[in-house]
Formats: sequence, structure tokens, C-alpha cells
Amino acid sequence: MIQLNNIEKYYANKGVKNYVLRLVTTTINQGEFVSIMGPSGAGKSTLLNIIGMLEEPTYGSYDFLGENVTSLNERKRIELYRNHIGFVFQAYHLIDEMTVYENIEAPLLYKKVGSSERASRIADLLDRFNIVAKKDLFPNQLSGGQQQLVGIARALAAQPSIILADEPTGNLQSAQAEEIMELFKKLNQEDGITIIQVTHSEKNAQYGNRILHIADGVVKEDVQVG
Amino acid sequence: MFRLNLKIAWRNLWKNKGYTLINILGLSIGMASCILIFIFIRFQLSFDEGYKNADRIYRVVTDWKYTAFDDYSAGAPIPFTAAAKNEIAGIEKIGAIAKLDDIVHVKDNIGREILKSQEDLYFAEPDFFEVININWKYGKASEALKSPNSVMLSEAMAIKYFGSIQNAIGKSITVGTKTHLSVAGVFQDMPQNSSFPIKIVIAYQNLFNYYGNRDCWDCINSSLSSYVLLKKGLNKSDLDGAMARFNKKYYKDKKIEGNQVNRLQPLKEIHFDERYDNFADSTIAKGQIYGLAIIGLFLICTACINFINLNTAQAVNRSKEVGVRKVMGGKRKQLIIQFLTETIVLVLISLLIACIISELAIPAMQNLFKNQISFSLFGHPVIFLFMFLLVVFVGFLAGFYPAMIISGFNPALAIKNKVALNNNGLNLRKILVVVQFTITVILIIATIVIVNQMDYLQQKPLGFNSAAVVMVGMPGDKMSKDKRSIFKERVLKIPGVQLLSYCQSPPLSQDINSTNFTFNGTKNKDFEVRTCKADENYFKLFDLKIIAGKVFMKSDTANGYVVNETFLKKVGITKPEDALGKMINATGINIPVVGVVKDYNDKSLKEKISGLAISADRNQYWQAAIKLEGKQLLSSMNQIETLWNSTFPNNIYHADFVDDRIKGYYESEHIMGVLFKVFACVIIFISFIGLFGLISFVAMQRTREVAIRKVLGASTLQLVKMLNGSFLLMVFIANVVAWPMAYLFVSRWLSGFAYRIDISLWPFVLAMFISMLITLITVSFRSYKAANANTIDALKYE
Repeated sequence: MIQLNNIEKYYANKGVKNYVLRLVTTTINQGEFVSIMGPSGAGKSTLLNIIGMLEEPTYGSYDFLGENVTSLNERKRIELYRNHIGFVFQAYHLIDEMTVYENIEAPLLYKKVGSSERASRIADLLDRFNIVAKKDLFPNQLSGGQQQLVGIARALAAQPSIILADEPTGNLQSAQAEEIMELFKKLNQEDGITIIQVTHSEKNAQYGNRILHIADGVVKEDVQVG
Repeated sequence: MFRLNLKIAWRNLWKNKGYTLINILGLSIGMASCILIFIFIRFQLSFDEGYKNADRIYRVVTDWKYTAFDDYSAGAPIPFTAAAKNEIAGIEKIGAIAKLDDIVHVKDNIGREILKSQEDLYFAEPDFFEVININWKYGKASEALKSPNSVMLSEAMAIKYFGSIQNAIGKSITVGTKTHLSVAGVFQDMPQNSSFPIKIVIAYQNLFNYYGNRDCWDCINSSLSSYVLLKKGLNKSDLDGAMARFNKKYYKDKKIEGNQVNRLQPLKEIHFDERYDNFADSTIAKGQIYGLAIIGLFLICTACINFINLNTAQAVNRSKEVGVRKVMGGKRKQLIIQFLTETIVLVLISLLIACIISELAIPAMQNLFKNQISFSLFGHPVIFLFMFLLVVFVGFLAGFYPAMIISGFNPALAIKNKVALNNNGLNLRKILVVVQFTITVILIIATIVIVNQMDYLQQKPLGFNSAAVVMVGMPGDKMSKDKRSIFKERVLKIPGVQLLSYCQSPPLSQDINSTNFTFNGTKNKDFEVRTCKADENYFKLFDLKIIAGKVFMKSDTANGYVVNETFLKKVGITKPEDALGKMINATGINIPVVGVVKDYNDKSLKEKISGLAISADRNQYWQAAIKLEGKQLLSSMNQIETLWNSTFPNNIYHADFVDDRIKGYYESEHIMGVLFKVFACVIIFISFIGLFGLISFVAMQRTREVAIRKVLGASTLQLVKMLNGSFLLMVFIANVVAWPMAYLFVSRWLSGFAYRIDISLWPFVLAMFISMLITLITVSFRSYKAANANTIDALKYE
């Protein structure tokens, strides 16, 4: 599903290249649950951003679903966002001015999903995550864990084939974090959604089935779990 | 502390250069407009200030109430002054003064003429200067004007004629052909802001060389006026009874037409009452002054709104600073003072720039008023007071609200940059933007309508052809009159000259002579007929269409009237042919109607066509209308001037084109049009830079939201639409609010014209289109940038 070949990313500063990623080559298949681990500044988030097409690599090639997406025009990238990729952020990034319901609805509006279809999908998600009672609340009226649930619900609304999560539990207490990781695991196993997460925690990484260890921009280890 | 505040203020302004520039630009332009408006208004309000006993000085005016209309004149009957002096008890002093123009000749010691010029002459009784006090450089009015044939000059005239004040005393000047006057006094030049632009004052007795009839109570001429000083402690109402008795005795009991009465008008109202003429030919309605003041207020308010919007918007960026300061123990009051200091610094910088802009704009402003008034920025010390008040007003209006908001942040939230400005519902910023654009749209609509009306006035067919017709003034003395036929003969020989007609005035003229009359033996009570004297060539020259009968025969005196259609309508005749042969008696003798002329506009298009009767009268032709061929205009004009000067060597040549003269009647509308254009541009500019600032802020504030939406699959176009939406809505609401107000203003202004454009929908739609389009461009420019910004920067952890 994802094929990275010799991906490099560096920032040139006064002729000196500061490498963030060096020669990253890896393949991620449909249905995998990959955790990217490593110390701060290792390049984890950059790698995830490149996979999410939020950043372009300086060098190397990237195929997504068999198509070269190394540098994609905006229209095509938006197509991928609408249909294949869902993002989950550490800081949730819900839109403060919109209710829970409206937040989940937003990607569906961009995808031009019909209104009855929209209503049923949102109802389904609210039900599944046990947040039906909260649908008319605003993000700042929810706890962090609840906000992240909404964030995940929003990412799932467009029925993506892959979810990219950047430290999804970084801002959460451990009990809430466990709940979220269980959810990810369930999504991966029951719905077959590919998940790539960046995490600090060894414990969270154990929920997945593969771990990429990164240090100083280089993939040091690629281990299968479970 | 204060110095520190200043330093920090300066650094902050420097840090946010973009917003600072927008603020300064808007404020300085707004303030410059206010300063210019203030200079103009102060000049107008300062008219006739500073006379001794000013509150007891009155002018005598005359009012009429006819059944169909009211009429007003700034004049009083000649016998009024003497009669009032004896019969009205409350009067301390009363003095008559009259104005007319004639040619002044100045000769040197050996009798050679060194100078001749056309001048306004004032004939005054010595008592006039007991009412209106002026400064004497030499002599005294009470002495100098006692005996006939004495004259007093202003300083400037004395220097112009004789080189110096000392030289002028005792010298003589000649007025007209035979009145020799000796200089008996010199007075200080009158200021520009005076309704008495007196330069040459002649003893009152000499007036009767020009006016024969001294005892006529119903001969009112606005040039013959009378000024009154009341006794100490009295005011106008104390004299009501005496005036009523006086009016009854001289007018009602004598059965004088039109319920004529005399009335006292306070000195301070002379410049502001447009119903009455004055010597300076300059009046301005208080309404216009208030209108200008309101526009000035609008301008400064829109500039302040920019400021408030941008500053509250920016407040979030400074929340951290506020939080830290509060945690360190800063009181709210201190923070408010700090933010106000910043505002005041900005306002002061703007004031400096505003002064420069004003100084640069003053020549253009003088040009607008044909350089008749000289303005200067610091011409009067009161400007400093105004500037001080302006700074305080703008500083507080613009600075106080943002300072309150910013200083009110909760420190704990502020440090984390987590303060939220209320973004839901009707917040103040949105209301302010709507107010700002309402003002803008009103001005745009008004400008469009005014410009259209002016175009309409210029293009409307007037019913006569005045192209390439030049009016040349003709001397009125007997000798010159006898030379007219020779002059005409010679003028017609000049190549390029087609026709010449001696007449009183061109077809459209504001010099109006009207009289009551009997028509076919019955006295008319509904209206006065306007009389126009012209020779038989007048009709051909101006291309006036005769629709019944014919033009009167060539004659030196009236032998038949040509009347217009309006006259027929007013006297109730439907078929033009029926009017022929009917008798009009306006001068004491019955003269038949010989022809009917198709209606043409005889007054400015502010007024309707009047009932008109044209007849010949050689003694009342003041001008020659000369029709030229377009191609050789200049050379023909030069030859006419040479011929004129050699034919009438004692007089001064004066000529102007009919079209220019007609344009002159719309001078104040023209000025108004220019002012509105300028102010509309200024306000559009201010509003839109404000809008640009605001969208910049909104885009910045919503960066994160934009980024989230982008990864959710929003396209750039969708994001731009989202960011633009609320602004377009605000401008749309502003349009809706502005329309009825603009309609009221515009329809009131147009009602001042008898001939006017219909108010159609399109100026409104156009204003909406313009405002929406500029909004769209301004806003899209910035929101496109925001929508295209790098997503990842916005989504980094906070």
C-alpha cells in the first residue's frame, strides 16, 4: 500500500545540510498497524507527515496505492484526503466553533456525501464511540479523551483506508490512552483499516503488529510484534 | 514609567509594521480631511466677527408675501433710513449704504490718465460707520463722508492708485464720466471673512447721480441697504411693536403690493441666510456647514473603526505579554495606560502626517474656490486647540475599547495564549464594519447621483442655442449709446462674426427683472411677469422658435411683446394664436402681444421656467450678444476687443461666453460634486485598508482551522469562500442599511432642482456592486494566501 524508497529530508542552512531523514526505505501493507518510535527529534513526525503528504521529501520516491505521489498537485492530494486518509492529532485539532456533530460532518461535506447518508454515518459513529449524548456540545466542553474520540470519529467518517495518528494519546491520561489504543486495535482487526501511529510509549506500540525504530533520521530496527 | 511606556510603544509599533502602517495611513488621511474641513468651517463661521456691539447690529431687510409665493430682498427703500431714525424709538444709530459698480479713472499730476478700472463703489452715510466700526488709517467717516464728492479708500486701493497712503490724501479720482471725488480718508483693508468687502466709499449724496427717485417706498433694490444699531440693552423683539406700526403706516395704509414689510436681521445671520443677498455675494447655509461637519465626523469615525478593529484583533497576539505583566503585579489601570500610550503615539505620528497632507491639499482646496479665499493651516491659533482635541478624541475613541479588552484578559489563560475573543453572535467588530461600510455606501451612492445630476444639467437641451455666443458689456451713458449702431456695423464686418443683438441678458440668466401687470385689462394677482429687453435679432441669434405670430418690428422702444408658452399657461390661454393682439400693461401703457415663443429655460435648472415677455427697449440694453463662427473664435474675439476699446475709450471691455456663464450658476453644485468625489474616495480607501487589515487578522486567527479543513479534504477555493463569506455578508448588510438613508439624502438634495434625474435603482445597485467587488478583491487576496499556506506549520503542537 505504501512504498517508500530512499526518502531523504534535509533543511539547507547556509550551505550546511541538516538531515531529518536519511535513506528511509520501507513498505507498509494494507491492514498493518505500524508504530513509529524513537527519541525526540529523531524524525518520526516528519516521516508521518511525508506519508500523509503534508510535507514533501527532498529526495526519494513515494508510492501510495501503487501511484507515485512524491510531488502531487493539490487537486489530487485533496482527492486522497477525501477518500483514503484520515488524520488523528495529538492536540485533537477539532474546530472550536463547531459542535461534535458538525466536526464529524465536516469531511463528509467536503466529500459531497448526501445528507441522509451523512446523517446515518454520523449516527453510526456517535453510537459506536458512545458519544451520542455529547453531539451538541462544543469541543471545549469535553475532556481530552472525549475530544480525541471525536477526532478519531471524524477521521473515520470519510471511511478511509488508512489512519495516520501523530501521538494520539500524548495529551491523555493513561486510562483514556488505553481506551483509545484499544479502539485503534479494534479498528485495525475488525475493519481492516491500516494504521500508522507515532508514539513515545513502548506500551502503546505493543497494540500494533509492527514497530519502526528511528534514531537520527535513520530506521534502526523494523520488528514484528505479536 | 512613562518613558518606558513610550519605548515599549515604539517597539511594538515597529514590530507590527504592517498593521501600524494601515493604522497610520487610515488615521492620517481621516485626520487630514477633518483638519481641512475644520479650516473651511472656521473660516465660514468667522464671518462678520469682532465688530464692536455686534449683538446689537441689524440689517434692514424687506419681505413680501404674495398669494402664490414669498419674496425676499436684502434691500430697504431709500426713504426708510430717514423715516426710521425719527420714528422708531429703540434705534441708536441707523446708516444707509448702497453698492453699485462703475469705472474709476485715476489721473497723475499733469492730468494724464494713468489707470482706469471697473470697481464696486459703496455710497455710505457717515452713520453707517457708527454702526459698523472699521479701523481708520487716516481721517474719520463722520467728517469725511459729510460733504458730497468725497471718497475714502481702503489701504490697498490707496496704494494701488497713488502708491502710498500719504500720497492719496487730498488727491482726486473720477467715477464714471463726470463725478470728481477727492480722497478724504483711508481705512484698513477689510478681511476676507467679511460681508462688507468695502474698498471705495463715497459720500451718500453722490448716490443720487445714479438713482433719481428718492421717495419711492416700493422700489426695493438689494444693493440699497440700511444698517441699524439698537440702543444698549434692547434686542430685536423689543422693537417688534415699533416695526409693526411702522410697516402699517408706510406699506399697509399706502396699499403697497405684496404685503411688503421691513424686518431686522441680526448681523450674524447675514452670511448664513441664503434668502438674502449680501455685498460679498457669499452666503452659505448653516445646513451645508453642518453637512460638512458630519462628513468630517464620518471620516474620522471610519478611521477610528479601523483602529479599533485592528487593535482588538491583534490583542490576542499580545495576550502573553498581558498575562506575564499581570503575574508580575501589573495593575489593570497601568496596562490600560500603557496601551493608551501606544495609541496616542500612533495618533501623534498620524497627526504629523495629516498636517503634511493638509498643507499639500490646501492649494487644491483654494483652487476649488477659484482662489478667492486663501486658507492656511496655522492661520488661526484655534487650529492648535482643534488638533489637540482631535488627538484626544481619536486617542480615546480608538484606544479605549481595545485597551479595556486587552487589559481584561485572565492572566492564567493569557500566558498560555488561550484567550478567546468572542467570535460568536453579533460581536462589536462586525457591527463596526457594518457601520463603516454603511457610511461608505451612502457616500458612493450620493456621489453617483450628484455626478449624474451635474451631467444631466450640462446636457439637458435648454431650448436655445448658445454655442459660440459671446456677451460683451456695453457702456450705459448717453454718448456711448449713440455709438452703438456704428459699433454694430463695424463688428459685423469682422470675419467670423455672424450676428449681433443688443439685449439685457442672455436667454438663461439669473439677473431677473419682474413686474406686476394687467393682461387684457384685468390686473393679474398670481404672478409677476419676467421682462426681458432685446432687439429683434435676439431670436435668430439664440435660435428661439416662434410658434405663433412674429417677432416685434425693429424699434427703440417697446412696440410689441413676444411671450412664452408658460406665460400663456399662467394666464389661462391654451391656443397660442389666441394670445396675439391681447394687451399687456406692465409699464403704464398697453402694448399688444405680437408673438409667442416656444418655452426655453430662462433660469438655472434649479428653477422652473417663468412667465416671460420680451420686448424692445433701447435704453435697457446692457450687453451685446455676438454670435461667432467656431473656427476663428480667438482672432474674432481679439478684433472685437480692439474695436470696442477704440469705440469706447473711457470704458472697460468685459466679455464672456454664455456657456461659461451658465456653468457659473452651478458653481456650488460643482464644488459639492468635487467634494463628494474626494470624500468618497477617501472613505473607500480608509474602509478597504481596514478591511484588509481585518481579513489579515481573521486569516491568521483561523490558520489552524484552515489547516484542519485542508487535511479533511477542503479545496483552496472552498477555504477562500469560507473566509470571504462573512465579509461579503457584512458588506451586503451595510448596503441594505445604507440604501434607505442614501435615498432620503439624495431625494432631498435633488428636490432643490426643478429639473432633475429620476432616482433609479441603478446607483444603488452600482454602489453595491462596487463595494462588494472591492471587498471580494481585497479579501480574496489575503484569504487565498491563507488557504495556500503551509499546512504543517499550523498543525504543530501548541
